[in-house]
Formats: sequence, structure tokens, C-alpha cells
Amino acid sequence: MEPIIRTEDLKKIYRIGKVDVPALRGVNLIVDEGEFLAVVGPSGCGKSTLLHILGGLTGPSSGRVLVDGNDFRAMSDADRTRFRRHKIGFVFQRFNLLPTLTARDNIALAQSIQGNGFNPRRFEQVAEMLGIAQKLNHRPYALSGGEQQRVAIARAVICEPKILLADEPTGNLDTENSQMVLSMLRTLNRSFRQTILMITHNPEAAAVADRTIRMRDGRVVSA
Amino acid sequence: MILVNVLHRPIRTVVSILAVAIEVVMVLIVVGLTTGLINDAARRTEGIGGDVMVQPSGASFMFSLSSAPVPIKVGDRLAEIPHVLAVTPVLFQSDLSTHGLGVIFGIDIPSWNRVSGGFVYLSGGPFQGPMDVLVDDWYAKANHVKVGSTLSLLSQTFHVSGIVEHGKGSRLFIPLATAQELSSSHDKASIFFVKCTDPGYTDDVEAAIQHLLPGWEIHNMGQFMSMMTSNNLPAVDTFINAMIGLAVSIGFLVIFLSMYTTITERTREIGILKSLGASKGYILSIILKEASLLAVIGIAAGYIGTALVRKVLIESFPTLYVESMTSGWAAKAAILALMGALIGAFYPALRAARLDPVDALAYE
Ligand SMILES: Nc1ncnc2c1ncn2[C@@H]1O[C@H](COP(=O)(O)OP(=O)(O)O)[C@@H](O)[C@H]1O
Ligand SMILES: [Mg+2]
Repeated sequence: MEPIIRTEDLKKIYRIGKVDVPALRGVNLIVDEGEFLAVVGPSGCGKSTLLHILGGLTGPSSGRVLVDGNDFRAMSDADRTRFRRHKIGFVFQRFNLLPTLTARDNIALAQSIQGNGFNPRRFEQVAEMLGIAQKLNHRPYALSGGEQQRVAIARAVICEPKILLADEPTGNLDTENSQMVLSMLRTLNRSFRQTILMITHNPEAAAVADRTIRMRDGRVVSA
Repeated sequence: MILVNVLHRPIRTVVSILAVAIEVVMVLIVVGLTTGLINDAARRTEGIGGDVMVQPSGASFMFSLSSAPVPIKVGDRLAEIPHVLAVTPVLFQSDLSTHGLGVIFGIDIPSWNRVSGGFVYLSGGPFQGPMDVLVDDWYAKANHVKVGSTLSLLSQTFHVSGIVEHGKGSRLFIPLATAQELSSSHDKASIFFVKCTDPGYTDDVEAAIQHLLPGWEIHNMGQFMSMMTSNNLPAVDTFINAMIGLAVSIGFLVIFLSMYTTITERTREIGILKSLGASKGYILSIILKEASLLAVIGIAAGYIGTALVRKVLIESFPTLYVESMTSGWAAKAAILALMGALIGAFYPALRAARLDPVDALAYE
């Protein structure tokens, strides 16, 4: 079966003034559908950049990227935005909830952007699974970090994305909340065959995944 | 989300709404004031009762002071035209210090009465001497004038001999001879009002006068009334347009600044929307919708503000006519305000739509 993610010699060079900063120096990666993959490596090695490219937030400088049959080389900015809207869910270290909206509206916003409208069944199911059903009318500032991250996960998966991309999802959480978030990701992966790529610094977090890859200086050094 | 954003920044929201409201009030009050002034002048001119107005060439039909007066004998020749019942000469005098834009009429009572049917005296009576003045009831009320009061006009002291019902040309009348004396224009007049034996003869009389006085400004009253709109008064029209331009600029600039600063404040939020797959069009539209919401509330506040300002103006200046807002102008002001807001919000919205999602997410 065709893997859901395949990159070949993926490079990304940031240009700062006149200096080229190579963030990715040729990444070859294969991820199968339903896999839970952990990405580890020192700060600045290009993990976030890789995730941003796979999620279509930014384009590659060279190399091939195939995600769920979409070849990024042939895609415009608008194409990548549409792709992201329908196939990708992001979870960030900083939660990135909209502070002015309640938990419910933060989650509903993703549905409204996706354009398929509000689906109450799916909404209840997700809220229940993530244990936030009682907190839906709260704004982010009234929620603990763990609760905020669970709302963020709910928002990321509400539209049933093909791939969940999580950039250090437990980086701002204490051990207890980290455990809870990790076990929820685990459940999503096990029960719904959700493909997950998770960046982490934490070996315990990486242990939850099926497989771990290590990056250094813009390359995958061990799979 | 649009509503939440608007409520989340109350000061910015109130300032933006206020700016749009001021814009709308400015447009509607300027239009109400100018059309009020014009309509009032038109109605009062119509109220004189003449069928045809005759002025020398070059005279403006509203600001009638610009041209030199002409010999009063012209009036005798007009009186000889068939179907002319009466002719009355009027010499315009202006006293800007006490009377603003208005004009003092120097009138000849006997012929004036034949053309106009005479004043309705609410108190007092006609001129008793050369230094007498008649004022209309509005002027009397606004300036607390009674019969027997003295008025300082044209650097002279006048006695009020009577208070007349408003609606006949001017608010202030002095004897024609006195007006001629004070302006050193003996036996001269600025305008002649001609009354026909029957209004049906107006066209014939007008044609005969045109034949007699080629090149003169000759208008029948119907024509005059239809000409009394701002469109036919280039100076007034230019003034209205300048004020509207100014008002729209205020709305535009405030909305521009308000949306521009909001976009900067919300850079990260825009990054989040982009990470959720929001397209450029989606982001453009939420910002334009937010500006429209501010504009719509501002327009509604502007309508209320206009009604209030009009009330205050009328109460403070009883002689001032401020037309009430017409639906046509209300709609025009609304469209101008909305367009101004949308154009003002467009550049900030475009900037937001074009933000790089990775940079926006990293924005502190
Ligand atoms: N938007 C950017 N502009 C310029 N340089 C960047 C940008 N994002 C990342 N980089 C650089 O690319 C390299 C990889 O960064 P990143 O992918 O964030 O690493 P990691 O997530 O592994 O810490 C770093 O040297 C970083 O400074
Ligand atoms: Mg990173």
C-alpha cells in the first residue's frame, strides 16, 4: 500500500537577509497510514520545519513531498491551504486557542472553516473522548493547560483529518497532564487509526509512539 | 467570532462606531441645513406673491446683492404690459453683522400690497416714518423684539413699527426710500415682482418682458422654485460635496487605523486560522465583515445623532430651517459610510490575508 507520507531528499532553506539557513538538508521519510510516529532531536534540527512542510504551512525549497497522494511541487499556495483544511490537524506546544472564543466555539471554528457545517454527533463524540464536555462554555484563560491542550486536540480532529501533526504537545504541561494528553493521542491512534506525527523532547512521550525517528542538523539520523 | 472581536475591544469599537456616526451626522446635517436654507428662501420668495421676477442681467437669483440696482422707471414700463396687475420694486440691503446671509428688503408699501396682498400684522402696523422697520414673527421671537423696540441696522437706529407674519420674502423690511438713501441709489431697485391679472397670463407676460428687456434675468415663480435646489447653485453644491468628502475621509481614516492596529494585534490569531486551513478569502471576508458591522452600527447611531443635532439646532436657532433627513439622503449617507469603511478596511484585510502562516504563528 502507498504510504500516506513520502518525502525524497526534502530540503528547506530559509533566507535571512543575505544568509541562507538550511533547516532541512535532505529528509527521506516514509509514514504509513495509521502509524503513530515520534520525531525527536535537539533544538533547531528542523523538526518543526518538517512538520510545517508536511502540513502545507510552508513550501519545500527542493525535493519531493507526497502526502495522501498530493504532490506539493504541483500545488499552489491556495491548493496547499485547501489540502490543509481537509486533511491536516495541527496541535502546538502553545495550544494556540483563540482567546476570545469559548472552547466550544474554538472547536466549532474548525468545522466552520472546513465548510461542512456543524456536526453535533461528531462534536459530542470528540468532546466526550477528550473529557472536555463539562468545559465547553469556558474561555481558554479559565482552563488549565491540560484542558486547553485537549480542546486544541478536539479542534484538530473534529474534521477527521488524515494526519494529526503535533509539535511538542506536552512541552508546556506537567507530568500528569502530559500523561493524559499522551494517552488521548494513543487512543485516537488505536481506536480510530489516526495517523499521528508527534515532535517531542520527552523520551517518555516518544515511548507512546509506534516508532521514533531522530533528527540532527536537518537530516533524519536514525529511524 | 466577528461579534466577539468587536466586543473584545470596546474602546476601539466605540471609537470606530463614533467616527462613522459623526460622518453620517455631518453629511445629513450639512445637507439638511443647506437644503433647509434654500427651501426657506424659495418659500419666502414664493410667498411674496409675484408671478414673475425681473432682475438686471448678471444678477444671481439667490444671492441677489452682486448686481447694481437699476432705475425704478423700468417698473412703470412693466406696468404697461397687458395683463399686468401690479409691479413692485424692491431694493436689497444687506447687514451681515446682524442678519447673517439674509437680505433686508426696501419696499414700497402701496405697490407691495398690490402684488402680495399685504402683510398680516401680528402686532403694530405699517411704517410711520422713514426710520421704521417691519420684522417677521420668527425674527422677533429669535431676537426678542417687540413693537417699539429699536434695532441697529445698516449703521442706523430703526424703530420696530410692526411684526408681520413670516413668509413674504425677507424677515426685515424698511421703506424703499430709506434703503435708497442709505445706499445712495436714488430712484433705483434691485428687483421687480410682477403680478398678473390672472396666473394664466404668466407665460405671456414673461415673454413680453423678455421682449422689452432682452438679456435680463426673468423668471416665473414656478421656474424659480424648481431652480432652487443645490444642483442649480454651484457654490452650494461644491460646499456640500466638500463637506461630504471631509466626512467620508474621517470615517475612512478611523476605520483604516482601527483595522490596521487590530490586524497587528491579532497576527497570531490569523496564523491560527491559517493553520486550520482558512483561505485568504476567508480572512479577507471576516475582516471586511467586522468593518461592515462597525459601519452599520455607526450608521444607525448616525441617524439617531442626526435627529438629535437637528432638534438642538432648531431649538437654539429658531430662524434656522434644517430639513429633516430624507430617505434618499439617509441611504446615500449609509452607502458612503459603508463604502468608506470597506475601502478603509481593505488594505489591512489584504495584509492579514497575505501573512505567512509560520511567521504569524511565531508572532509574540
Ligand atoms: N521562519 C524561519 N525563518 C528563518 N529561519 C528559520 C525559520 N524557522 C526555522 N528557522 C531555522 O531553521 C532551523 C530549524 O528550525 P526548527 O525547524 O524550528 O527546529 P526545531 O523545531 O527542531 O527546534 C533553525 O536554525 C531555525 O533558526
Ligand atoms: Mg520546534
